[in-house]
Amino acid sequence: MSNDDKPFFVGYLDVPGPLRRFLLLACVAVIGIFVATGFLIGSTQDEPPASGFRFDYGRQTVTGVIELTPYPLLRVTQGNDLIKPGKTLMLTGQGKFGVDARAMGLEGQLAEVSGIILQRGTIDMMQLAGGRRGLKMIEGDAPAMETEPLGRWKVAGEICDGKCLNGAMRPGRGLAHKACAALCLVGDVPPVFVSTQLIEGSDFMLITGPDGTRLPKAAYDYIGQFITAEGDLERRGDMLIFKIDTDTLEVTDE
Amino acid sequence: MDQAELILLFAKIWGGVGALVALAFLSFGIDRLDEDAKGAYVFRPLIVPGILLIWPLVLWRWYILADGKDEWAKRYKPKRNSHNLFALIMPVLIIGIIAAGLSVRQTWPVNLAPVQLTEPGQ
Repeated sequence: MSNDDKPFFVGYLDVPGPLRRFLLLACVAVIGIFVATGFLIGSTQDEPPASGFRFDYGRQTVTGVIELTPYPLLRVTQGNDLIKPGKTLMLTGQGKFGVDARAMGLEGQLAEVSGIILQRGTIDMMQLAGGRRGLKMIEGDAPAMETEPLGRWKVAGEICDGKCLNGAMRPGRGLAHKACAALCLVGDVPPVFVSTQLIEGSDFMLITGPDGTRLPKAAYDYIGQFITAEGDLERRGDMLIFKIDTDTLEVTDE
Repeated sequence: MDQAELILLFAKIWGGVGALVALAFLSFGIDRLDEDAKGAYVFRPLIVPGILLIWPLVLWRWYILADGKDEWAKRYKPKRNSHNLFALIMPVLIIGIIAAGLSVRQTWPVNLAPVQLTEPGQ
């Protein structure tokens, strides 16, 4: 050893005197840097509005007419204290999965749905319980439901998945947000368009492809990015449906 | 072919070559390099994932060891002078990546208002 006086750290022995101050400072500095970095990165994210699963409401059960846009909606005809008749509920399954397969064959039928509400401001959704507890057809004549066309619109905002937007997650920005939303949409969670400004009183719309098809694959590349798009708009109950025209999709320059 | 497909294709090719290297190395290569490995087979599947990822390094070390060019003593004598440089480069690089990521983000186009292009029925 060239320098026998040089202090040497051994984990299971007492810390040599000259190294104590250095180790103490290094610990404080590392912890401080982690805290500061976390704060700085966190401060670049948007403040998430109050949103999430409303377990405090308890399980909600309502009756209505199933509509496939093709993403399943429930036009509520018999509600409860929280969910009034005339409301339109988006439906989703557990995890990153929709309920398309379960709703198939129920279009235009009366059905009883049961599950947990997700809510964020004026947008909400129901995560159905499993099996027939969550969705079952019931006897009775389903009333005819009206759809109000609202013309063709050019809108600005982003394509997101309805479940995370509602508070299952708290959508941020960037690549992780894009990947999360894409995974949800691949799993048939209903896609929504979040608008920069109110359209007909709402700042979000359920998105479909033209002519009532699913969200076209061409739109998947634009998920989570700020875009403009054109399409036909219609109202079903209290929900707007945006039939996106993927040929008009453009990333905003801002 | 878009970026995602390119990345997936690259991962498939990399993993495919890695699988071939793993097959060859674990079938007969490792027996020639490490006498302690002779007759021991249970541990070999455990290192397959590692070989899939770093198969170029495995090939290089295989070549060095099989050719008798290995100077094993050097492995215990790290080049400490270069550590300082890398210790500086790494945090600068990390901060640079985060800063670049934040600077190329889009901003929410709050000023772009929705426009009705045609009335219903038109």
